[in-house]
Amino acid sequence: MSPTRRTGRSRLTLALLVITSITVLTLDFRDSAPVSAMREAAATVFSPLRGLADSATQPFRNAWGGITDYDDVKRENEELRAQLDEMRGDVVRQEDAEAQLAQLLDQLDIDWVGDIPRVTARVVAGPGSNFSRTIEIDKGSDHGLAVGMPVLTGAGLVGRLVQVTSNRSHVMLITDPDFAVGIRLVDSGATGTARGQGEGEPLLVDTGLEKGTEVEEGASVTTSGSDRSAFPGFLPVGTVVESLPSDDGLTTDLIVEPLADTGSLSFLTILLWTPDP
Amino acid sequence: MTPAGPGIVAARVSLVLVVALLLQMSVAARIEVFGAMGDLMLCVAIMAGLATGSDRGLGVAFAAGIAYDLLLHSPFGLSALVYVLVAYLVGSMQDTVLRAAWWIPTVTAVIGSAIGVILYAVFGTMVGEELIGPELVRIALVVSALNAVVAHPVLRIVRWATDSGGSVRARAIMR
Repeated sequence: MSPTRRTGRSRLTLALLVITSITVLTLDFRDSAPVSAMREAAATVFSPLRGLADSATQPFRNAWGGITDYDDVKRENEELRAQLDEMRGDVVRQEDAEAQLAQLLDQLDIDWVGDIPRVTARVVAGPGSNFSRTIEIDKGSDHGLAVGMPVLTGAGLVGRLVQVTSNRSHVMLITDPDFAVGIRLVDSGATGTARGQGEGEPLLVDTGLEKGTEVEEGASVTTSGSDRSAFPGFLPVGTVVESLPSDDGLTTDLIVEPLADTGSLSFLTILLWTPDP
Repeated sequence: MTPAGPGIVAARVSLVLVVALLLQMSVAARIEVFGAMGDLMLCVAIMAGLATGSDRGLGVAFAAGIAYDLLLHSPFGLSALVYVLVAYLVGSMQDTVLRAAWWIPTVTAVIGSAIGVILYAVFGTMVGEELIGPELVRIALVVSALNAVVAHPVLRIVRWATDSGGSVRARAIMR
């Protein structure tokens, strides 16, 4: 075939495939049902194969992790032992405080987060690419999960479900720039909206507090649970590390360090709770 | 050697894509190097463009991208769009500019990977994903380096799958 004819055919193929890609992208942005169905079908079909591949490649990954992460793991293990001793004492105090809070909320006819049924899931995969920010867990709609449900670790809120198939789900992490959650400062009761700023970065909270308002470093932050909130109230979110003027200079923004460590997740708790429609 | 029929080529390409996808999700995505991970599917797309020229390679690149997009919670079709453009670029260069030599797959993997990563970030940002940041250069460097390492074996496998090993140029590139 002559180079000219070949180039012409290639350009036609290129044009067709680019148009197809853009069409698919557009359908995805409109949350088209066929695209969701294709994704669910692919995840269902691929899931067993991936389980086999994960098992087969586990020794290789372990060897790589042993070579590259040994010192970090050893240091982290020592730190965790020290934290565990401290937290054993905290648990008793926290249980007492939770019991008192639950009684008070019951008297006020407000839902207590401790009463919400929950499912524990294992993280089976981190982000599949450099630009994907979701992680995958081994539970899905067969276990009662649905899009929008809050996801926690023992420390606090870590994300929400954004895609659910029959036996797998994707979790958008709290650090994702697309993640937003209504929060409340425990001490002052001030509310605001926390947004992710990327992996490893703290949350940025737009509080609406007046410029110059001082918020104590280390102040605790929980979900606000206000009307039509995407999350129930009283879920631990993080602690304040800095107050600073907002971009427009009129209010105070907060930098909040999430309590949950999004860098090392293994088991997660999903609250079987969805916001009121 | 008798050329493989279209059905056999399609079956081989499907097999290669499934295996590549499994390796991407189970190995490449679990091993971080300087905070970034490899992109084996991009390497397959680049090598498809190199092995088959800008024509048949486009179909393989598109299929690789669509298969990858199906399993990620990211804009569906974005990887396919980027892979097709990179495969076309590589194929065009192979048709018109490149001279056959053993180092071509390695260099092509480096350049094609860097272009692919940057294109993904640019197009992703255009559709509202906020993917351009200081880590972009690091990701591009890591993906380029890792794909350079696996370029030769991937090219051999793609050549077998697409039955493009018989051409003079393909043989020369593989030497």
